[in-house]
Amino acid sequence: MATVQLHHVTKQFGDVTAVHDFSLEIDDGEFLVLVGPSGCGKSTLLRVVAGLEEVTSGEIYIDDRLVNHVAPKDRDVAMVFQNYALYPHMNVYDNLAFGLRMRRVARDEIDRRVRQAAEILGLADLLRRRPAQLSGGQRQRVALGRAIVREPKVFLMDEPLSNLDAKLRVEMRTELARLHQRLRVTTIYVTHDQTEAMTMGSRIVVMKDGRIQQVASPLELYEQPANLFVAGFIGSPPMNFVRGTLEPRDGDLWFAAAGISIRVPGALAGATAGLGGHPIVLGVRPEDILVDPERVRVLPDHRVEALVEVVEPLGADAFVHLLAGEQRLTARVPGRVKVRVGDRLTVAPDPDRIHLFDPATEQALSRAATSP
Amino acid sequence: MGLVSQPAPYGRPAPGRQATPHAGSTTPPPAAGRGTPSPAARPLPGRRLRPAVILRHTLAWLVGLLWIVPFLGILMSALRPQAELIHGWWQLGQVTISAENFVRAWNHPTAPMGEGIRNSLLVVVPSTVLPLLIASLAAYGFLRSRARVRTPLFALIILLLAVPQQMVAIPLFRILRDLGFINSYAGLVVTHTAWALPWMIMFLRNYFATLPREVEEAALLDGAGRLQIFWHVILPLSLPGLASAAALQLTWAWNDFFMALILLYEPTRLVATQRIPLLRGQYHVDWGILTAASVLTIAVPILVFALLQRYYVRGLIGWTLK
Amino acid sequence: MDLRGARARLWADPLLLAVPALFLILVLIVYPALQTLGLSFLSKDGAFVGLKNFADVLSDPETLNLARFPAHTPPWGSLVHNAIWILLHLPLTVAIGLGLAILLRDVRGSAILRSIIFLGMVTPMIVGGVIIRFLFDENAGIVNAFLRLAGLQALARSWTAYPDTALLSLILGSVWLWSGFAMVLYSAGLSTIPRDYYEAASVDGASPLQQFWYITVPSLRPVTSVVVAMTILWDLKIFDLVYTATLGGPGGSSMVLALQMYFYGFRALRFNTAAAVATVLSLFTLVVGIAFIRSSRREE
Ligand SMILES: Nc1ncnc2c1ncn2[C@@H]1O[C@H](COP(=O)(O)OP(=O)(O)O)[C@@H](O)[C@H]1O
Ligand SMILES: [Mg+2]
Repeated sequence: MATVQLHHVTKQFGDVTAVHDFSLEIDDGEFLVLVGPSGCGKSTLLRVVAGLEEVTSGEIYIDDRLVNHVAPKDRDVAMVFQNYALYPHMNVYDNLAFGLRMRRVARDEIDRRVRQAAEILGLADLLRRRPAQLSGGQRQRVALGRAIVREPKVFLMDEPLSNLDAKLRVEMRTELARLHQRLRVTTIYVTHDQTEAMTMGSRIVVMKDGRIQQVASPLELYEQPANLFVAGFIGSPPMNFVRGTLEPRDGDLWFAAAGISIRVPGALAGATAGLGGHPIVLGVRPEDILVDPERVRVLPDHRVEALVEVVEPLGADAFVHLLAGEQRLTARVPGRVKVRVGDRLTVAPDPDRIHLFDPATEQALSRAATSP
Repeated sequence: MGLVSQPAPYGRPAPGRQATPHAGSTTPPPAAGRGTPSPAARPLPGRRLRPAVILRHTLAWLVGLLWIVPFLGILMSALRPQAELIHGWWQLGQVTISAENFVRAWNHPTAPMGEGIRNSLLVVVPSTVLPLLIASLAAYGFLRSRARVRTPLFALIILLLAVPQQMVAIPLFRILRDLGFINSYAGLVVTHTAWALPWMIMFLRNYFATLPREVEEAALLDGAGRLQIFWHVILPLSLPGLASAAALQLTWAWNDFFMALILLYEPTRLVATQRIPLLRGQYHVDWGILTAASVLTIAVPILVFALLQRYYVRGLIGWTLK
Repeated sequence: MDLRGARARLWADPLLLAVPALFLILVLIVYPALQTLGLSFLSKDGAFVGLKNFADVLSDPETLNLARFPAHTPPWGSLVHNAIWILLHLPLTVAIGLGLAILLRDVRGSAILRSIIFLGMVTPMIVGGVIIRFLFDENAGIVNAFLRLAGLQALARSWTAYPDTALLSLILGSVWLWSGFAMVLYSAGLSTIPRDYYEAASVDGASPLQQFWYITVPSLRPVTSVVVAMTILWDLKIFDLVYTATLGGPGGSSMVLALQMYFYGFRALRFNTAAAVATVLSLFTLVVGIAFIRSSRREE
């Protein structure tokens, strides 16, 4: 059990900066998820923590011990690789036992730990098989098992589920969560899949181009994305963005774009004060576009006229693709709401859930704390 | 030639099931075809019996005869008594198979081949194992090194591939003589070892580079040191590459003549290849003995080739084509 | 930077694993090679004589006998012999290797045929020399049997025993022995050319000959450069074959550089002359080796 601290960690490969000034503290026993598009430096960060790469600058502490120059094997971390990296020439038992043998653990103890891990992961009947004789899911478990038996201070998992088919991936998510409940080992879990990140992390780090974009709980990421990137990356289908300008009118600020005019809600008034005439990006999540006439009626300052272009029924919900003025918007509506292609609707973004972003800095304009 | 009848590893699998009367009647069927239904019973649609196909097969086997006949000649000359060969080994009026020539070559009074084969084996086995070990260590070192000198050192090693043995012969002879290694197998083995290192390092480095990096890193995190990774991960994963290197080196060391010529003089210590020229008379050539000795000498590399054919050819391709 | 860490890392560099290999290479290849180079500039008594040994070697008719070349029969000198060897061997090897690879592509039993053709590569060259003599022998040789059958009685004699045919028979024999190498490489090369190329080309109306010139030949360029480089190196280093078949004779008419070096160094004990021959030989092989490395770099 351990804490991991990263202080201003930077890693460069030639002129490519894979990780840029990365600072983060991970608590003992935490399950931290690192998410970001492919190529953003997630693997590099894990490898730096593992000691497989040296940092260009910055410090890494595991349990308050500076490990910058500590060899990987002495850092007491275990890593689960995306492609599992099992030893192809060893059977499952030996794959699990290898790390313990290298550390000169007593034979009985090795046997006990290997069998225990195999039990936990349902590998007990497969111990004599070689990796090539296992299914993808089973290999995945062996890779996990190899990390578990070591009883390390930190687990590093690099997209461990990305090679599994969709159904198995969902199962393994739950299983990993259970495993963490049980073992409580500090874990850094890397994924490029935002759904996976949202379901697994208690705290999520969103990365882009080697930099931290936001560190927050899943709900906070979703409801209060710190910038345009996070807002667009988290959530599926993604948030709708509309470019426009802020126009002062009747003492209020209004968001204006071709065919759309919306009053900036009170909660954002503070953040937008004095920005009249500035360009702005408005963001609203698909489920926050209201179509129910009852609810739209009470929002006279937020109405938008729209034409239904496509309807995608998904059962419980349906995605309705709308054309409002020159803007394309996606709304998520309950499945029983009847809309047809070609309908003209009056919709309204929920004023309590509108996001505004400064297009120059891409940062979100913060909402007053009073909003529910 | 049943020895070398495994399907070749190169190219696409031979589309061997097509019915061609030519292949069926005038040549032995390939071993791979044994036990499968006869071609006639399973006619495939398309190209069967087309004149172009027949022509191609006829031509191929005729051209093949250019290589088959000389080897057959050596074999015949070695296996038949002298009396039958006076008018050429291709005279098939009377064919007697006898071991007479082999026995005479094996027990030759001045250059017995039996002793030569034994000596060759004594030289070749350590001359294969030793460089394999030393070169694989070095190859792994070169692959994972981050030291700056590795690049010029590796360039030097590649350059050495082109150096002919004649360039080192005289000083090498003097060094080994001063160390008391003339007429000693140790001297020849060390020479073969050193000589094998450049190509083996290059070959194995390229082979190791194809292994998955993560497996090695997993071992690193599992607590294995460099040598442990080398021994427990790299070597076991490289068995095909090691087999290729071994097959090539075994053959080359066995076939070597020049190094043995300058390092071994004592008549009882000569290796097999050194004895062949000694069996050749000045004016009269005893083809029976000479061909029998040739067959004996060629048998070992052929055996290696037959057993490790796939690795042999892959090695040759990998070595030259990267 | 943490100096202790840096030094520790330097010491732990995996290149340490190459120390035994590097030691052997330095002691048994690099050092002797440099010494040979040094010897080639010294007289018998160890005095520096500049290029005298080279001049001696080049003016020796055994190396270069331009008075006889090309009007008279060999000997023409080992340098000329090696050059002729390359000039004849190289085009033949490329043509035969490629031809065999293409011919055997879809042939039943090609695995056996290829193995047999490849036997030449597996054969010790000392035995290769025996085979050549055996093939061209006046009585035992099947080549001469065929010549007689064709009515060419005048040519039917032991080719390796006459100055005008010794070199030629050795070169032909080496072509025969070495074809398997080019064939195997070309077969491997052919199998890497995607079928679609040919399909696309034939859809575009390319004839088989055009397909050969515009698809097969360019795709095999890297293979060809390997075959060319290896063949030249092999021809320069040729030794065993000549040693058993003719010992350079008769009258030096099949002498080659490597054998000449051996005679100087280990029979006549003229070490400095031998070193000069070895140096000349190495110069050639290094030029070929470097040219090959550069050409393969360029292709990457
Ligand atoms: N060994 C390396 N050499 C050079 N560039 C690298 C190396 N490893 C990663 N990179 C670069 O660093 C960036 C981040 O890569 P990575 O950490 O693998 O991203 P992710 O895991 O998020 O997909 C990429 O631009 C990648 O090309
Ligand atoms: Mg990655």
